[in-house]
Amino acid sequence: MTVKAGPLAVAAKILLTLVYGVPILWILLTSVKSSDDVFDADRTFLFRPVTTAYVEALDGDLLRALLQSVTIATCATALVLVIAIPAAYGLARTRGPLPTLGLGLLIVLQMMPQTATVIPLFQVFSGWRLLDTTAAVVLADAALLAPFATLLLRPFFRAVPPQIEEASSIDGAGIFRTFWSVVLPVARNGVATVGTLTFLLAWGEFLYAVNFYLTPGQYPLSALLAQQVSAFGINWPGLMALAVLTSIPILVVFSASYRLLRDGLTVGAVK
Amino acid sequence: MTAPATAAPARQARPRRTPTAPRRRRGGSRLVFLLPAALFLGLFSIYPLVQLLRMAASEVTAATLNADWAWTGLDNVRRGFETGQTGPAVSRTLVFVVVVTVLGMLVGFGAAIALRTSGRWSAWLLALMVFVWALPPVVNGSVWKFLLNDAGLINTVLLGTGLRDDPVPFLYDQHWALFAVAFVNAFAVIPFNTLVFRAALMTIDPEVFEAAQLDGASKWQQVRHIMVPSVRPTTLVLLILTLVYGFRSFDFIYVMTYGGPGTATNTLPFLGYLQAFVRYDYGLGAATSALAVVGVLVLAVVYARSIKREEADG
Amino acid sequence: MNARRTSLIALAAVGALGLAACSGGTSAGGGGGDGSTAGGGGEGDGVVTVWHYFSDPNQVALMDAYQEKFEADSDATVENVYVPYDQMNAKLVSAAGAGTGPDVVVFNGAEAATLALADVLAPLDDRWADFADADQFPDSVLHSVDDTLYAVQGYVNLLGLWYNQDILDEIGVEPPTTMDELEDAMAAAKDAGYGGITLSGLPQSQGEWQAYPWITDAGFDYEEPDADALAAGFERVRGWVDNGWLTQEAVTWDQTVPFQQFAAGNTAFAQNGNWQLGTAESDADFAYGVAPLPLGDTGQVYLGGEGQGIGAHADDPDLAWEYLTSTYLDVEGQELAPDLVGSIPSRADSAEADVVTGNDLLDPFAQSIADFGASYPDPVIPPAAVADVQLTVGQAWSAVIGGQKSPQDAADEAVAALSGLLG
Repeated sequence: MTVKAGPLAVAAKILLTLVYGVPILWILLTSVKSSDDVFDADRTFLFRPVTTAYVEALDGDLLRALLQSVTIATCATALVLVIAIPAAYGLARTRGPLPTLGLGLLIVLQMMPQTATVIPLFQVFSGWRLLDTTAAVVLADAALLAPFATLLLRPFFRAVPPQIEEASSIDGAGIFRTFWSVVLPVARNGVATVGTLTFLLAWGEFLYAVNFYLTPGQYPLSALLAQQVSAFGINWPGLMALAVLTSIPILVVFSASYRLLRDGLTVGAVK
Repeated sequence: MTAPATAAPARQARPRRTPTAPRRRRGGSRLVFLLPAALFLGLFSIYPLVQLLRMAASEVTAATLNADWAWTGLDNVRRGFETGQTGPAVSRTLVFVVVVTVLGMLVGFGAAIALRTSGRWSAWLLALMVFVWALPPVVNGSVWKFLLNDAGLINTVLLGTGLRDDPVPFLYDQHWALFAVAFVNAFAVIPFNTLVFRAALMTIDPEVFEAAQLDGASKWQQVRHIMVPSVRPTTLVLLILTLVYGFRSFDFIYVMTYGGPGTATNTLPFLGYLQAFVRYDYGLGAATSALAVVGVLVLAVVYARSIKREEADG
Repeated sequence: MNARRTSLIALAAVGALGLAACSGGTSAGGGGGDGSTAGGGGEGDGVVTVWHYFSDPNQVALMDAYQEKFEADSDATVENVYVPYDQMNAKLVSAAGAGTGPDVVVFNGAEAATLALADVLAPLDDRWADFADADQFPDSVLHSVDDTLYAVQGYVNLLGLWYNQDILDEIGVEPPTTMDELEDAMAAAKDAGYGGITLSGLPQSQGEWQAYPWITDAGFDYEEPDADALAAGFERVRGWVDNGWLTQEAVTWDQTVPFQQFAAGNTAFAQNGNWQLGTAESDADFAYGVAPLPLGDTGQVYLGGEGQGIGAHADDPDLAWEYLTSTYLDVEGQELAPDLVGSIPSRADSAEADVVTGNDLLDPFAQSIADFGASYPDPVIPPAAVADVQLTVGQAWSAVIGGQKSPQDAADEAVAALSGLLG
């Protein structure tokens, strides 16, 4: 890419850097404060940094929770993609009342308050003896994120020129073959983006994790983070330190997929 | 502009209801692709949705939640309006959604254009934004609660530069609070919109820009005539997602104001939460949530219509 | 056709791979939890599962101490399960719907009615009737719903008036014993450049809990709700905001933030609880003390705290009861609480132990119990309406402090709503 930033773009970037940088800076500062410095206005920037919060956060539980988070987010993302990719393609290429209804329904599902789904799903999982298993959380997360992913993926499949499919079918390939070897590669940017977003959302989801695991020993990182807030107050340095620690994998995933995206683009084969 | 332009004639050349068998069968058989989603969501999403709607039309309290629900029809909805809570909540929700959507879409698109550039800064900034987006609302909300309070950074800067004589009551004045919370919601959704807009912008063939530059098109003309049309399908779905996000958002209100001061930031989703999980009137809470779902049904119809138009245009 | 089959197989393979990986993850992460049973543990497995919402280190230490004590007293094991406060009730209710749940529930006492109505708690009447020490417990710590006992509190938490001794010395006043003295002291503190008081104006049950002393002082009660009395109480506190003694920002504060503000050292008073003892010790680097809230004859202070009950679907209710009588309801068990979390034991004999009476900070709280102590929630409120009443008054309280409504309007609207709820 040879796009150069104009003065307006630079101004926009400065503003964005400030608006998103300041909160992060604040999180980092708070995470190395002692709890009595958090509310002292005189010690906003000048304080004696301590690593207590990090030392307390870094224990065996953290590693176990990290593994749980990786398992849940990976499985949920895989499941979501297996469901949403064909659905998005189907919705992009079919017409008539059925797909229209499907799209409308996806939007409605997107609107469901998550709190309202906990109780019915609890009954379902209880009936299937899936409570307290990772499978329950993965299934629930996938149900939560699949409508979102489908809606988001559809335009990417719409953008695939129909001619290349027609060319492929003239060559004698069936619709599944065409989809797999022609359409999917062209739409890979969309799939990578949506996959990354799904992974990050699954990573941060904690309501299902807290409700469907009966024992906290299995909680993922997001649920550990939710534990920092209690009826008897918030451990600010602890919350912020854990937020930093639990978000490091997010950065790793994002950087990896960012490179993937960029490399995919420089090939420039999107025609 | 090669790809989109050539697509249209190819479509128009094809008569509707062509007798050639392969084409017709293909259009129909692609419904197979919807099967996994239909099965999965039917199992894990439709049942909760049906339960929610049933609950909205029944009397359900903590005592009867796990027992049989007495059907009461529209009684819950009527009760919500009669107590004078639903009406103001609807108008607050609309204000909230408009602020979140306008900010989220415009800034998101602008940021996507600004971050289209290659280079370290763009890469880092995008990573930073996604990082912030992925933080749980309790973290983002708490941080902004700190930044916006009387002794917070924003007010310190405003007072220090002499722009204000006294702190802005961002979170504890009934008028400011709604806008402040809406702003933070927009802040949280912008990275997502930026990322998706950016992905859509990246699919534009670079040659198109080169050609435009040779023709002497200004930056603004490039935005207007190349970028905006090419992200249109994405814009539509993002608009829907942002609207829905605004309509259902409750975490930030929970963290930052708890609906206060008084009831000044009680939007529909937060009111629904209060009714169902604080007052344990599950029926009333479900009715409030269902009301929001109905609001979104209108959106769904608009979306489906514009999809039809999109298909008609090719 | 062949190609189609290949891609279908490929797709199925991806899915199967994913699911296989997930179920692998289940058994790897399973650890203690038995994946095949829906409940927490099997039938009478010798494990007492205790659900609680404590994450504060001192409170966790108390849970650990109780676990240790019971495991030493019996050959059972205790499993303390943390559930975030916001999720506690939802999780209990959905678990009860599925016919499962913990052996022991440690929950917000104010919500006993909600949980009892939702069939989360088992009735304790028979066990209580056979309990030798039952007469040591005052009625205010017994949570009954429709004449059935569901939970008992092992200790009480209540509000007092924390003061910054350094500031009081500087402005030359004694800890106030009347409302006038308090207001004079706040005015003097403001003139000296300090804040007057911190409290919570959150529009929910915490707000109602904090408002209660002030509105009852003005003559309000739930027996016969009087809008003018409520307005008078609101008027007083709104006056503090108008005078600059209390920041309007209090409407965004839960009960933790105002105490941390107080602990930062720039405010003369804080209306806060005995559970802040630990925070005061670690965060406040000035001399401080506690006095009973300076209320008049009608003034009341709620006696809150966590209720302890047995789960309706406990797999071993007898063992659960043994746990409770060995810890929360035991003399020695109760004496652990003041030291670790600054709570006042609920047993009459424990409350007179040295750990309470010998503590200068706890003593004013103990005195408040005698002078102003009131059951929380007020027994005249129908069980099913408790949450509603608390929210209604909490929102009115917040609307007044935040200036959304005038004291009179807020009081009129709240009393109108209350008349429907109180029946």
